[in-house]
Amino acid sequence: MSRTLPDARVQAPAPSGTGGRRLPRTLHPVAWWIWALALATAVSRTNNPLLLFLVLAVLGYVVTARRTEAPWARGFTYYLYLALTVVTIRVVFRAVFATGITPRDHFLFSLPRIPTPDWYAGIKLGGPVSLEALLSAATDGLRLACMLCCIGAANTLANPKRALRILPGALYELGAAVTVSLSVAPQLVQSVQRVHRARRLRAGRTKGLRALRGIVVPVLEDALERSLRLASAMDSRGYGRAGTASRRSRRLTGALMLLGMCGLCAGAYGLLDATAPKLLGLPAMGAGALLCFAGLRLGGRRVTRTTYRPDPWRFPEWAVAGCGVLSALLLFSKAGFNAAELNPSIYPLSWPTLPLVPTLAVLLAGAAGFLSPPPHPRETP
Amino acid sequence: MRTTRRMTRAPARLTGTAAGTRHPAPTGGGVRPVGTANDAVTPERFGTTDSPAAPEPVATPNNLRPTRPAARTSAALVLTLAALASTAAPAHALPQPMSQCTTSSGAVLAVDFSRWGGPIYRSCGTTPTTGYELLNQGGWATTGTGHDGPAFICRIGYSGFRAGRQFPPPEQDDCVLTPPASAYWSYWHANPGQNTWEYSQLGAMLYKPRPGSVDLWIFGGTNIEGTKGRPTVTPDQLRAKNTRPTSNRPVPKDTRTAKPLPPNVNTGPAPVNPPPGYTPPPAAPPVRREAGGPGTVPVNPNPPAVTPSSPPGATDTPAPTPTAAPTAPGAPTPASTAAVVAAGSRPKAEIADAPPAADAPYDVGSYLPAAGAGALVLLIAGGAVFTARRRRRTTESG
Repeated sequence: MSRTLPDARVQAPAPSGTGGRRLPRTLHPVAWWIWALALATAVSRTNNPLLLFLVLAVLGYVVTARRTEAPWARGFTYYLYLALTVVTIRVVFRAVFATGITPRDHFLFSLPRIPTPDWYAGIKLGGPVSLEALLSAATDGLRLACMLCCIGAANTLANPKRALRILPGALYELGAAVTVSLSVAPQLVQSVQRVHRARRLRAGRTKGLRALRGIVVPVLEDALERSLRLASAMDSRGYGRAGTASRRSRRLTGALMLLGMCGLCAGAYGLLDATAPKLLGLPAMGAGALLCFAGLRLGGRRVTRTTYRPDPWRFPEWAVAGCGVLSALLLFSKAGFNAAELNPSIYPLSWPTLPLVPTLAVLLAGAAGFLSPPPHPRETP
Repeated sequence: MRTTRRMTRAPARLTGTAAGTRHPAPTGGGVRPVGTANDAVTPERFGTTDSPAAPEPVATPNNLRPTRPAARTSAALVLTLAALASTAAPAHALPQPMSQCTTSSGAVLAVDFSRWGGPIYRSCGTTPTTGYELLNQGGWATTGTGHDGPAFICRIGYSGFRAGRQFPPPEQDDCVLTPPASAYWSYWHANPGQNTWEYSQLGAMLYKPRPGSVDLWIFGGTNIEGTKGRPTVTPDQLRAKNTRPTSNRPVPKDTRTAKPLPPNVNTGPAPVNPPPGYTPPPAAPPVRREAGGPGTVPVNPNPPAVTPSSPPGATDTPAPTPTAAPTAPGAPTPASTAAVVAAGSRPKAEIADAPPAADAPYDVGSYLPAAGAGALVLLIAGGAVFTARRRRRTTESG
């Protein structure tokens, strides 16, 4: 879909005048998204805390090296806070809703036990907490945190509004909804920063619970307002317009897309649930994909839109997206390493190993930090 | 979809902290005294046991008046030390040789390894216990899932079978998420005198087997209600038949080596499982439990009243007196004092006794990979800091 920009020849000056240094330019946003989503997929494969910390380090490096100076690009710290919250919540829940301690566990501490009636026997509150339980909760949370940070890195590195221009023509009608959902996180980060700065300028309290109340309401209001403004701006530029399509073709497109989505959902269900009938698996998935493709083609035929200053897709884009996808493939391939090393045992407790191939895969994803061109030193969004 | 199944599949799921009242050294060596601080906080668990009351008076105030976490932790530490210092303590759930289980005392644990070419192992434990404790003593060990913790039984191993390897092995199930309903360890009970299996409505940590009952773990698939994928052995084939412990008799040390029959010999009433030793590698089990579906159910009600010598334990030994029908509800099983040993002369999964054994050793591994990963992370973080500094400098100068 990124190849829908035929005239990608933006006039870049010859790199001779830069003294050997690469010319700053922003990478195609879709390349960053592919890279980040592939890395998130790779992360979903492993529970090894060493690999997860390595992924976090790599993400941190790439974001520091290649983020722009745009407002949304300063938000990676917020995603890190969110990740920390996720881990904390998991650990606290595992400690409170105790899953029990086994005779072989390392006992840490004991929470006061809240008795539950017999008919509620499934859930125990409080009780002994073992080191193993907390560690397994922490690694589980860390995996989710890593995936969150991958999405955060994509949001930080890619311009969310430019990414929208790549949307297939048939989805223009969804454009407004997609914009709001895609840009809500960067928008929130931006709003927090604006409100925080405003409070500091007025010498208001910037810390503590009372300050929080003063920040949360304006932030939510601001984010919602800006999202609506963005949606209306997109509306005025032709997003969400049906164009010249007849009612019949619009209905056909809608039906095709809806059926296709149903097929995709049923296919995913069939593939993931081993007890589902075989017909639900790959056949439904394939049929759904076909229907979706047909719907997109049919819908895209009736909308013709031109693009002003299209984003080019050149070697760095291929390289960045490629190293993300390659690292995910390596982790899923089970080539050259034992799959059990991706999920080290916690019961009984043992040191995790650092398998070579997955480590190299993660480092390969980090190569995006210097394969991509440097960002503009001072960019105005 | 996973969520629905998780809500409805009860047996290994509904879990709690009823287990784990002992804390042996993690290496599986000696058994620590019972009353660690962990136990002391929940004194109600000691109500039925004969454990020393030493930690209780100290612990009760701690239980009633929750103090600040730091204070509580230190109190727990002190209690742990105190409990370690006191050399009291018969542990209240103990592994025992199979001959110690009778029709009215001890709980029989049976685990079906036939999918991996093994027998159905039986072992015995003293009764104030939980299903989980039965499964984690005397050489037995389990692994939970990363998602649900140890209470969801994902792997079971016995140190006397394949050197304590736990099944299903990691290449068949990585035990990170909840296993699918088509391949998991399902949990079945049979109370004393009862000859039908009951799909457990409680998790292993919550269920407390009654004296003289049988707990069975089979691997395979069930439906949500547990009406499909039922066990192919009957409780009477597994339960203890003697009314008195027979410890004075020579107990066979190891009956796992009972000879398998040639593949095509069919002597039993319900040849559902392949003969042991004939089982191909676990990648392609010849008979999948779930493949039987409803068809396996009729096999099950094996009328033992008609053929009193049909229980497998009786085939090699002096036959139990046929006076009492084993199916009579509540009635004790035949008054035979014969030691129940393994019966290898059946085409079904062989039943073998699993004597209490030491825990299988496990490797803690080396900390060097962790140190290496730490160094690598620090290196990358250093690179990031360097890059950030340089960028700031160029931004300020430019």
